[in-house]
Amino acid sequence: MLRLVGLRTNLKLTGLKPLQRLYATEGAPVASGALRLTLACPNKVLFKNKDVTQVNLPSTAGSIGILADHVPTVEELVPGVVEVLSSAQADAEKFFVAGGFATVTEGSELQINAVDAYPISAFRPEAVRTLLEEARKNSTSSDEEVAAQAKVELELLEALSAVVK
Amino acid sequence: MIARQRIATVIASTPVARVLGTPRTYATLREIETRLKSIKNIEKITNTMMIVASTRMSKAERAMQNSRVYEGAASILAKKAEAAVSADPSKTLLVVMTSDKGLCGSIHSQVARRARQYLSENSNVDLVVIGDKSKAQLQRTNAAEIKLSFSGVGKEAPTYGEAALIADEIEKLGDYDNIKLLYNKFVTGVSFEPTILDVYTAKELQAAPKVGQFEIEDENVPKDFSEFTLASQILYGLSEGHAAEISARRNAMDNASKNANDMINKYSILYNRTRQAVITNELVDIITGASSLE
Repeated sequence: MLRLVGLRTNLKLTGLKPLQRLYATEGAPVASGALRLTLACPNKVLFKNKDVTQVNLPSTAGSIGILADHVPTVEELVPGVVEVLSSAQADAEKFFVAGGFATVTEGSELQINAVDAYPISAFRPEAVRTLLEEARKNSTSSDEEVAAQAKVELELLEALSAVVK
Repeated sequence: MIARQRIATVIASTPVARVLGTPRTYATLREIETRLKSIKNIEKITNTMMIVASTRMSKAERAMQNSRVYEGAASILAKKAEAAVSADPSKTLLVVMTSDKGLCGSIHSQVARRARQYLSENSNVDLVVIGDKSKAQLQRTNAAEIKLSFSGVGKEAPTYGEAALIADEIEKLGDYDNIKLLYNKFVTGVSFEPTILDVYTAKELQAAPKVGQFEIEDENVPKDFSEFTLASQILYGLSEGHAAEISARRNAMDNASKNANDMINKYSILYNRTRQAVITNELVDIITGASSLE
């Protein structure tokens, strides 16, 4: 029960609506209490087997929060913010990811493969705005290839501009 | 006269002299000098290549460590779901990963040999070849099986962009029951091992015995995931191969420099001895001439 209380307060802190599936593993065998996170990009490793309390992910199924003892799952990530909450730090660490996959396995392990990920603070709002303008313009281009490419860019940049201010 | 004979036997008994035949006088001295110079130049080149490889080694090794974590995260699903390769694949694709550059020992030919061995053991295998080195070798024996080849990969540490591009082209080849990556696994600084890595297709993932424990809502996920994993694992294979290649090049160039140094030593000794012999010869001539006048 103690774990559940902690879980509720955590959810309140992040302002996330509690999802049904978070409670799916109430009967899970051993509650280790911590979630082991590995967050890797092709060119760098941001977290490797780090104990955290909660991770919020932007997935194709909507924004989801992952806590310890989450049911095993595979989620496809969409451009958005990955929030990492750990007991060691008061503020959540926020990373913008361009896409990728997250796999939760038995034993509270969360493995995230991101195509690219940077801390939110690393983005310059002006640069995002300029690129967004450009992508908007290109998305209406008559050249199909350019338009398709711009649409992908637009999706990413719109998500990015929503969080970078 | 006795002194002259002794010098001649000493020279003849040195190993280099035996290769060259009995040394003649002035012409041989010049020959040895040119030879010595060219060996010194080769030593300079191999030594420089060794130093360049050493400096690139740490970067390549870092990239490899990173890709190992990345690959581990990508393949965890297949591992936990206990996915297995189709028992009787009708069509298999073998992706052979090497690079364009040589002077790194047998690293590329070992991969090519492993590929040939695999081809002889299995039927209905198509090849995708990355890198000119293995392409040149496999084209001689298995030109018909090569469906696609890439060059220009692996000059620098491989990037995700390259891997994604290769994965994209592989997807375009059509459906394969089974995709295997053949790459050089970096074992230690001095050893590597041609290794075959299975990439599980969406079908294989869905057929895995324990995939049921995973909650997969989106029906696109298995297909997207297998495509994503293909790119990730290609990157992993390329990174391992790159690190193995650079470390092999460092070792090859180190050995070449050592051999060159050995030869430089031998030739220097031979050169000095020959020169001394020439001087002694002349002295003997002068002294004989002078004594005959008395």
